Amino acid sequence: MNKSVLTTRPEYEYTTRYISVWAERVVEFAKQKGFAVFDLAKQRATKQQVESMMEKHRPGLVFLNGHGNNSCVTGQDEEILVEAGLNEEILSDTITYALSCSSAQTLGQAAVEKGTRAYIGYSRDFALMFDDEKRTRPQDDKVADLFLTPSNQVMVSLLKGHTAQEAHESSVKYFKKNLRKLLTSTSTDKESATIPYLLWDMQSQVVVGDGLSKLEQN
Amino acid sequence: MANEDDIRELVIARLETAPEGLGLSFGGVGELSKLQQIEHVRAGDEIGKRIMEVQMNFLTSLKEGLINNEALYE
Repeated sequence: MNKSVLTTRPEYEYTTRYISVWAERVVEFAKQKGFAVFDLAKQRATKQQVESMMEKHRPGLVFLNGHGNNSCVTGQDEEILVEAGLNEEILSDTITYALSCSSAQTLGQAAVEKGTRAYIGYSRDFALMFDDEKRTRPQDDKVADLFLTPSNQVMVSLLKGHTAQEAHESSVKYFKKNLRKLLTSTSTDKESATIPYLLWDMQSQVVVGDGLSKLEQN
Repeated sequence: MANEDDIRELVIARLETAPEGLGLSFGGVGELSKLQQIEHVRAGDEIGKRIMEVQMNFLTSLKEGLINNEALYE
């Protein structure tokens, strides 16, 4: 498995702008770790680009960001990028993390059946909350941080060479750390209001396939 | 045992105490304000049911001790 990662970062409305800005931190981290990064951002987050890059470069890790449902993940303007029964085989031989609603349910299963080593994703809708006052500066949004730092931890952990199961557990640890902090009286009202949704996301994250798979560090 | 109407009222009461200025992205219908979340729950539509599920999951988890200090340190 080669030391490269493909990321999709559509950006066409508030939610995708938020996850794109936060996913960029993973892109920068990957570059610092010496990974070749194929970063399909904004208009480049298309099915044609994803399929072309996967075929040409065969990245070992894939980080899909975007909307979706139980059988697909979408890209720019909600174009379907990967869909169960259509092209899930493009993820074969990869460890994939999908920050997208529900895709682990059907797409994750289908991808693993077609050769994806491990698919980390969410079995239900992924909830994201944000501070209205920070809409134009997602990177400064401490409410969104509560959700997206634990999410990013999946990729950080994989990029460090941990297994899929370890990456999932590391992410769950971050969710728990945030929940512990929020359950104290020192958290703000806005932060406390996120608790049910953080708990939901934490409980929804799953690993499909081989939890022991990891990117070999050569 | 609480029926769906009771649960709906409970969830609406919880949402009404939430602070203003928080957006929620959930279920792929765009960003929801506090008022919009309450409207969906009141309407009993698909998004409203999902919001209810999230809130009831939290309350059940609290009751079952799944989010006490001990559980969150495991």
